[in-house]
Amino acid sequence: MSAPTAQRPAPSGTVPLRGLKQRERISTKEKLIRWALMLVAVMIVLGPLLWQLSNALKGAGETTVGFPSTLIPRNPTLDNFVTAFTAIPLPTYLLNSALIAVMGVTANVVLATLTGYALARIRFRGRGIYIAVLLATAVLPFEVILVSTLLVTRGIGLQNTLVGVVLPQAVSIVSIFVMRQAFRNVPHELEEAATVDGAGPFRLFSSIMLPSVRGSLAVIAVLGFLDSWDHFIWPLVILSDPDKYPVNVGVQFLSGTFSADQRVISAAALVVMVPPLLVYFFMQKQIFKGLAEGALKG
Amino acid sequence: MTLAAPAATVATDGPPPTRRPRIRRHRWFVPLAFIAPTLAIQATFLFLPLINTFVLAFTNASTIGGGTFVGLSNFTTLASDGAFWAAVGRTFLYMAVAVPAITVISLSVAVLVNTSVRGASIVRPILFSPLVMPMAVVAVVFQYVLSSDGLANQLLQGLRITTAPVPFLNDSDLALFSLMSVTVWKGCALYTLILLAALQNVSRDLDEAAQLDGASWWKRTLRVTLPQVQGTTTLVAILAAIATLRVFTEPFVMTGGGPGSSTETIVLYLFQRGINPGTDAGYASAVSLVLFVFVLAVAAVSWLVSRRDRA
Repeated sequence: MSAPTAQRPAPSGTVPLRGLKQRERISTKEKLIRWALMLVAVMIVLGPLLWQLSNALKGAGETTVGFPSTLIPRNPTLDNFVTAFTAIPLPTYLLNSALIAVMGVTANVVLATLTGYALARIRFRGRGIYIAVLLATAVLPFEVILVSTLLVTRGIGLQNTLVGVVLPQAVSIVSIFVMRQAFRNVPHELEEAATVDGAGPFRLFSSIMLPSVRGSLAVIAVLGFLDSWDHFIWPLVILSDPDKYPVNVGVQFLSGTFSADQRVISAAALVVMVPPLLVYFFMQKQIFKGLAEGALKG
Repeated sequence: MTLAAPAATVATDGPPPTRRPRIRRHRWFVPLAFIAPTLAIQATFLFLPLINTFVLAFTNASTIGGGTFVGLSNFTTLASDGAFWAAVGRTFLYMAVAVPAITVISLSVAVLVNTSVRGASIVRPILFSPLVMPMAVVAVVFQYVLSSDGLANQLLQGLRITTAPVPFLNDSDLALFSLMSVTVWKGCALYTLILLAALQNVSRDLDEAAQLDGASWWKRTLRVTLPQVQGTTTLVAILAAIATLRVFTEPFVMTGGGPGSSTETIVLYLFQRGINPGTDAGYASAVSLVLFVFVLAVAAVSWLVSRRDRA
């Protein structure tokens, strides 16, 4: 046996790694190198957030400079979080974002489900063309039609409204294709059985098809929520009244307009990240599945 | 299944192994009912604005209203618009630096965490977490991190690398690169995830064969594993390239395009001319169309690459 193989002895225990079987024992040297590099990567990701958390927990008298000795606040206080919720309109922003998210997710799920079903299970003239159009528009960046969308939305009187924020980005091509794939996987026998039982096309859809694709509904709902929480340029453009701002527009607005207290803005920024992070840690499976399918379509 | 048997015999045309999945035919209004809501929204907020962009580009319309046909005047102005071409140059510089950085870092991190070493399963979700953080909020956080008394400067001074604070966002030569670092920080989360998924689908047989032949870990990774995720790596580079063409949030939040106009990207220029403070909808539409051409060019490259890979 040559040197590198000696370093990694013959397969012994099998450690499952996401369904993939690792058939080798890992040398101590490799472990140490991987741990060191992973620690560096984790610090690069978490460092800025921990520093923000540290600043947000510090009172007005405590310095934010002198890292790392000052990283742990001497007198941790929640004052900045209280200020974020009382002195700046963070609760209003959160409410706006929640309304936008509820409307956006509902619209995205309903539209993608109906369209995905038609594209998967109903034959109609123009279906191939419509699929081609959908795929073609997936390449069109929203920024290209930003100015015109503003004019159209203003033209139908939806400027400065939350509905105006939601509607132009309610259709997600990725969601439509996720649902199309899900409906294609529903066994045809189920459909036949229901048809024999006398179910019409709409009964068939609601009582047979929908329950069979619940998993994919969760996927597009989660992705729709994350998208709506992240949308920035459109709400920024269509809303003129700061009282209607969603959280991300609101927080950057506050951090930019007047000399805001950095610690309060840090606290607000962390609060804004909590909902998507919670969704992320509890719905990882759905997110990874959706992103994988979305990336393949891209 | 006894109930379904008669229907099955009627509908099945061929022997089961070769039968095509049957898609039902319905009355004309059934498919329409299913796609009408999406179609209505797309007609209003996608097709109409898209056509309108092409029309507006040939007018001197303002976002406030009005406008007359001016022919190619917007495009001739655009051709000699120094501020626009400077923005184009910056955006392509952004692409030239950020895309290779994102691709190399994402691939390296994906290889790093594609292991059963204890702790990797805890590290993975942490490394992917920036993908759910709103870009605008990330930008606000990094505005502080990169400020003169921010975390980055505290670290550099603490490690005695610099004595005076580095003006990450206030130096016109440096600001664009500081913004790129934020794009890379956030972008790597998603692209590492995509690449890790590809790496986990790689068959280990080749790797083990190479191992028996005595190939080192480096050699096996470079010559055996990575070539198998080449397609996904190209996809990641193309997704990142399109994303950098659309960069807006980072400069808008962190520098406002400054200092001077040193971080003004195409989309930021488009925004400033067409929406705020400018109201020149016609001219901004012409800028939009040029941006669209750039995106289509990148998409065309991706199509050519995928066709070559398939051939």
